[in-house]
Amino acid sequence: MPSDWEQQLIRRFTLATFLEAVRLFEEGIAAPEDVDLAMRAGAGLAEGPFHWADARGLDVVLEELEMLAAEVGPRFQPPASLRERVQRGQLGVRTGRGYMTYVRRSRRQTEEGE
Amino acid sequence: MYVKRLAVIGAGTMGADIAYVAANAGIPVVLKDVQQEVLDRAQRHIYDLFENRVKRGRITGEQAEARRQHIQYTTENGLLSDVSLAIEAVSENLDLKKSVFRELDQVLPPLSLIASNTSALPISALASVTGRPDRVAGFHFFFPAHMMKLIEIVQGEETSRETVETLRRLAEELRKIPVLVKDSPGFIVNRVLMAAMAEVLRFQEETGVSYADIDQAVARAKIAPMGPFVLADALGLDVTLEVAETLAAHYGERFGPANQLQQLVKQGHLGIKSGHGFYAY
Repeated sequence: MPSDWEQQLIRRFTLATFLEAVRLFEEGIAAPEDVDLAMRAGAGLAEGPFHWADARGLDVVLEELEMLAAEVGPRFQPPASLRERVQRGQLGVRTGRGYMTYVRRSRRQTEEGE
Repeated sequence: MYVKRLAVIGAGTMGADIAYVAANAGIPVVLKDVQQEVLDRAQRHIYDLFENRVKRGRITGEQAEARRQHIQYTTENGLLSDVSLAIEAVSENLDLKKSVFRELDQVLPPLSLIASNTSALPISALASVTGRPDRVAGFHFFFPAHMMKLIEIVQGEETSRETVETLRRLAEELRKIPVLVKDSPGFIVNRVLMAAMAEVLRFQEETGVSYADIDQAVARAKIAPMGPFVLADALGLDVTLEVAETLAAHYGERFGPANQLQQLVKQGHLGIKSGHGFYAY
């Protein structure tokens, strides 16, 4: 079981990664599928940040960001595109749609972006 | 359009690796540098890369020889008159790159593409010195380019769809993984990576947890192949600091380089290459 500081470190690392990935998407610079591919093939991350969030559940990620924004600082404020998805019930892999679209009973992602 | 023959401009480590990757995929390459000794060094490096593949049983000696023959080494522009793409891989200096782009625009056939392997400079600024900005894009390999699979295809303000498609097909032919990104500081990988690194540096400063403990925790959680401090030492702390400063200038304080990093660079501790960085070597 990782210690408290370890959990806090991993939370800040993964959420900072996710937030920057979301900025690329919200600014229209790159598609979520491309960001995920790039971070795996170019930086060796085990999982792309958008798939990580979609698999965790966007509602869970939203809650974690709100906690971290209160604890650590406003730089962890949840982004608009995340709130919108949670409001629409697009929670990620579980609902078939989050930042990416998932075909049921299959782990293949469609090419469709947003 | 298909790339039947390409040129690589600049035969440093990156340029030599790119020429090797193309030759290995069976595409004829002209490798140009202004210095003969740089070309000679590149030729030896490429020879070693092919020999390694032979040793590991991936290709035969004859195949290696045939693929090596795909590369022509030159200090002149003459061989560039029939290439359909030139990939610029000279040092990361905007004025130098601009002068290379101006020259290429003069000597390449009018329909040829010009791509830059820059990891930091704006593509639109390079495109603007040519008469073919629609045929200019970024084609960013990662180090070492003979191993790393990713290529960021960077779309400048005027880069055409056809240029992007040609480069995407070429990347696949080279057995690489292409992603598309609009021209912006840090593109995808460096921007996201540096955001995470800046956050970990802040965490370290606040908590005082040691670099080694943090690196081990990141490795243990299996979220990245190595911890941020090992990575920064390998990249070079001066390089890391420069990237952080550029990103901070564009995107704001979340990229602001941490005190530890600034202090180390000031003391001349630049990572593995100087024998001392976050760790001693």
